[in-house]
Amino acid sequence: MSNPIVVTIPSHPRFLSVVRAAALLAAEISGMSCSEAEDIKHAVDEACSNVIKYAYQCDCTRKITVKFDDNQEGFQVIIEDSGNKSRLEDIKIRELDEVRPGGLGIHFIKKAFNTVAFDKKKKNGNRLLLTRHKNTDKTA
Amino acid sequence: MKIDTTVHSGYTAISIAGEIDMYSSPALRDTLLTMAKKKEAIVIINLKDVKYIDSSGIATFVEALKKMLSYGGKLKMAQVPDRVMEIFNFSKLDKVFDIYGSIEDAANS
Repeated sequence: MSNPIVVTIPSHPRFLSVVRAAALLAAEISGMSCSEAEDIKHAVDEACSNVIKYAYQCDCTRKITVKFDDNQEGFQVIIEDSGNKSRLEDIKIRELDEVRPGGLGIHFIKKAFNTVAFDKKKKNGNRLLLTRHKNTDKTA
Repeated sequence: MKIDTTVHSGYTAISIAGEIDMYSSPALRDTLLTMAKKKEAIVIINLKDVKYIDSSGIATFVEALKKMLSYGGKLKMAQVPDRVMEIFNFSKLDKVFDIYGSIEDAANS
């Protein structure tokens, strides 16, 4: 990928399918296998769902911008919103062994990406930085 | 996502087609919780045509399973596509749900 791909959607769950399609194609263009690209698609979907749930408190009238870039660091996805400040530790998470509804999203995000972090320099809203390093086998 | 419900002798089958995500899972939740409210004894979910499931879809199934177990009901999964199975395995839900190769196998078990 020579140039970043940027997709902006309204913060309504009906548009998550647009982000999933873009994530899958961007991952495939960067050379990932079908299975790896599916993991990327799933992770980006979960991250955008979290924006709607946590940052926007289900306000469907806002915007989410997702940028895909394949650079020296690896395959990078940046998800930006203008909602409430989020911290990874505030997002509902459960142990995989603990069977109850909810709390799985972060596991799917970490399955696909080596690093998952909010950009602390962003003053208003959130900028989530997801990076999958080159030549990383995260299928295990 | 499309949901088709058919009542058979001894069980109710729910066939789902398309993508189960944050947008579509509330409709699925309504369907399953209505079944639980009616205390359906055996519900078989046919996942053959499901292309995608996210954590909200999984949460919906887990919630329905717990409701049904509370009155002795059974929630069974059939014809789970490979990619959905991968997600079930990763989430360790393959150990929680009864999963079958076909609706018939699920009905006869």
